[in-house]
Amino acid sequence: MESRESKDKFAGRVRRAMGAPIVVVVLALTIGACGDDTVGGGGNGDVTTAKAGQVTGKLTISNWPGYIDPGSKGTVAEFEDETGVKVDYIEDVNENDAFFGKLQPQLEQGESGGRSIFVVTDWMAKQMYDLGYLQEINHDDLPTVFENILPNLESPGFDPERRFSVPWQSGMGGVWVDTSKAPEIRSVNDLFDPKYKGKVTMLGELQETVPLVMLAEGVDPSEADNDAWFKAIDKIKAAADSGQIRDFTGNEYTEDLTAGNIVAAIGWSGDASLIENKNAEWRMPSEGCTLWSDNMVIPVGAPNTAAALGWMDFVYDPKVAVDITEYVEYISPVEGVKDLLEKRGSELAESEIVFPTEEFTKDCTDQELPPDPEPVKEAWQEVITG
Amino acid sequence: MSLRQRLIPYWLLGPGLLWLIVFFVVPMYFMGELALRSGSLTTGYTFDWAWGNFPDSLSGHTEQIGRSFFYAGAATVLALLISYPLAYAIAFRAGRFKLLLLFAVIAPFFTTYLIRTIVWKTILSDDSPLVGVLQTLALVPQDGRVLATSGAVIAGLTYNFLPFMILPLYANLERLDSRLIEAAKDLYSSSSQAFLRVTLPLTMPGIVAGVLLTFIPAFGDYINAQLLGGPQQSMIGNVIQGLYLTQRDYPEAASLSFLMMALILAVVVVYIRFAGTGAFMGDEDERGTA
Repeated sequence: MESRESKDKFAGRVRRAMGAPIVVVVLALTIGACGDDTVGGGGNGDVTTAKAGQVTGKLTISNWPGYIDPGSKGTVAEFEDETGVKVDYIEDVNENDAFFGKLQPQLEQGESGGRSIFVVTDWMAKQMYDLGYLQEINHDDLPTVFENILPNLESPGFDPERRFSVPWQSGMGGVWVDTSKAPEIRSVNDLFDPKYKGKVTMLGELQETVPLVMLAEGVDPSEADNDAWFKAIDKIKAAADSGQIRDFTGNEYTEDLTAGNIVAAIGWSGDASLIENKNAEWRMPSEGCTLWSDNMVIPVGAPNTAAALGWMDFVYDPKVAVDITEYVEYISPVEGVKDLLEKRGSELAESEIVFPTEEFTKDCTDQELPPDPEPVKEAWQEVITG
Repeated sequence: MSLRQRLIPYWLLGPGLLWLIVFFVVPMYFMGELALRSGSLTTGYTFDWAWGNFPDSLSGHTEQIGRSFFYAGAATVLALLISYPLAYAIAFRAGRFKLLLLFAVIAPFFTTYLIRTIVWKTILSDDSPLVGVLQTLALVPQDGRVLATSGAVIAGLTYNFLPFMILPLYANLERLDSRLIEAAKDLYSSSSQAFLRVTLPLTMPGIVAGVLLTFIPAFGDYINAQLLGGPQQSMIGNVIQGLYLTQRDYPEAASLSFLMMALILAVVVVYIRFAGTGAFMGDEDERGTA
């Protein structure tokens, strides 16, 4: 009897305790519903232009890992010495979507998280611009950039007049292979070979991995409809479910290649500096690669845009750009880098990965978005989170 | 009692209450509000009592919820099995090494959670000596691996939350009146009987507290699954993270978070009722009746 009573007492306490907060929450929600009630949906429509001026003060840059020499003799230090600007160089862009997801609430408030420059891939730059999160750039403020930029980068589809983006480096999505363990992998289709079960990874970025699989299937991503995207995603999902694909990664695939956890991965052409495995080699997939650029953009609310513009102009000096190329081994957007490398006697000048010819990239595709992206993104996320 | 005296308890409650309001009640309100919005990132999320978010957010994610229960449950049981003898040894047998051993339990916490987990990634990598030993002992198949398996995630969870199990157990065992065990033996109970009928019941509060402190954070954890698991080891925390950061479907992420909190709350309420509120509160009078 006593036990019964104490149970009732307990239940009564729970009911009383739960009741009050529920009433409060419902009331608060009703009141909240009357106020200004839209979150997101982009900025207020006024596009600002980044202000030029004296290059001084403090500058915060967000970039991908391994994309510059951050050492005491590296490019960042050189810029600091030359201009007196104090640079906070953060390598916190690991995937476009995750980086955007982290900063979106602040960007929505017109703040940039203290950063004056982000480096993001073409489609992400466009997405940010369309949402009103980026400032425009006046070409007159960037004389060195527009004197030295490679002609084929002057007018990309996502930003034909280069109003909000300046290329940082370009690269290719393809296949990294540990040649001591799986020398015969030359195609994205080879990654689905059961021989390598659990020993391959793919990139978690939809726009990178899925177009490569479509190319391998003989589908042109630039003309693919949503069904073609879903079909490629189904193929990847089946491989993930069976354990063929070990994981979907950002830059971490470089660690797995270093540690010997995997024999091959979908990865980026210039990541050699992040992989401590002398047998690792980037290969152009036999069906073609993805081609993209990562771009410097100036977000809304960026402090010290003058220093940001100063930085952009600085890295477009071929003498600076050649150091960056030597360190990162990606495709430089700056004219004249190849000549300087030849003068230095660097073998990179001969590399097809750093200076790809049109013949080399003839089967490659720009990173495309599906015609109706939302359902595709949702399906992709379900692949990644099992 | 003067008015001032009567107000003292409320003053003492003040800081804690303020903390709860600022860092729990207010965020909960905003999350609740977010959970009832609909729209997309480009059109904006508008508040329109979108209750449909709740069932929507569950669809397709039951597998990860089940997995989270399994992983967190397995980690909790493992942690209990490891912690109880350890806490017992520290409390009764460690002598002058007591403090040193307690320090050893907490020492890993001087390194941040993330780094500790990343280090396990190195320790468990496919070509590592440890995995080689496990393969030789046939605990792992010859061509098998540890990383990116359920085992690695459960091991990571167990390791990371172990001190949350050890410390309450130790605190409880330390207080245990050893004369009660002696009395049991005087009354002709064997050692194992004394343990089962005296020590174990008396340490129930420590076990209940340890289980809660381990299970609840382990259930919502996503770091271990992300770093030590693969796509087939995703837990519900990874799903919520993806919804927030990658898909930016904030309403669905918020409603899923709410449902998970409700689920955990329900599990905890049932568990405490089952284990006895008396045991949990350390109220010895009620234990016999609950």
